[in-house]
Amino acid sequence: MPEAVPQNGGYMIAAYVVAAVILISYAVSLYLRTRRTLRP
Amino acid sequence: MRMLRVGRWITALALLLLAGVYVRALAFTPVERLQGLAQKIFYLHVPAAIWAESAMVFVGLASVFYLFMKDPRLDRFASASAEVGTVFAAIVLTTGPIWGKPIWGTWWSWDARLTFTLFLFLLYVGYLLLRGAVADPATRARYAAVLGICGMCLVPFVHFSVYMFRTLHPMPIVLKPSAPSLPGSMLATWLFSFAVFTLLYVGFVTQRYALSYLREQLEAAAGDAGMGHA
Repeated sequence: MPEAVPQNGGYMIAAYVVAAVILISYAVSLYLRTRRTLRP
Repeated sequence: MRMLRVGRWITALALLLLAGVYVRALAFTPVERLQGLAQKIFYLHVPAAIWAESAMVFVGLASVFYLFMKDPRLDRFASASAEVGTVFAAIVLTTGPIWGKPIWGTWWSWDARLTFTLFLFLLYVGYLLLRGAVADPATRARYAAVLGICGMCLVPFVHFSVYMFRTLHPMPIVLKPSAPSLPGSMLATWLFSFAVFTLLYVGFVTQRYALSYLREQLEAAAGDAGMGHA
């Protein structure tokens, strides 16, 4: 009988969300810092 | 300003393509039989790890050249690469434990690969703190260059720790002397993800470099204005 595939999709979703949050936060931080620097 | 615009466009394109990586990894890549869906964390964790290590190598190389040539562009690049490397190291250190918990049964283990990766992250943080703590630009660049070279020396220990020590962390699956041990569809998804992380690195570093340049220009302009008043 074939072994069942582990049910751990929640971990995968958590990791994908965390990575997206980190990358988007950094992109936004770069944008805001640049805008603040360019402000007269 | 042109560099800033180019950096923004590259970053925007990379973030758009990252959405494509998510779709491909989640919907069009087979599920690994033994690890289940958690194995798909691999498509983010490994490219982020490669760029966290590579960014520090670039910091170190730029630092070596800076110490000889004293070119501020090299210091600016090292600073930008270090900040972006910190971001990628943060992804590695968060996605790694999330992957480890269902597979190893624990969030963290003080084994060589994990500990060296934590050292790398702390070295990045120390590098950025050092840059923030020294006011004189020439002294800051010199101190940061020394720390950057130390960081570069740590990278081989991070990468080869799985060969040098007995670790819980698996051996490299893609970056190794023999052919990658992955089925074609998984390898294609990984290569796509790696290309997108490369684009993210380039976009972020370009923007961060342009931001440093802008700040230096403003500081110089403010200094000139101050001299004029005096």
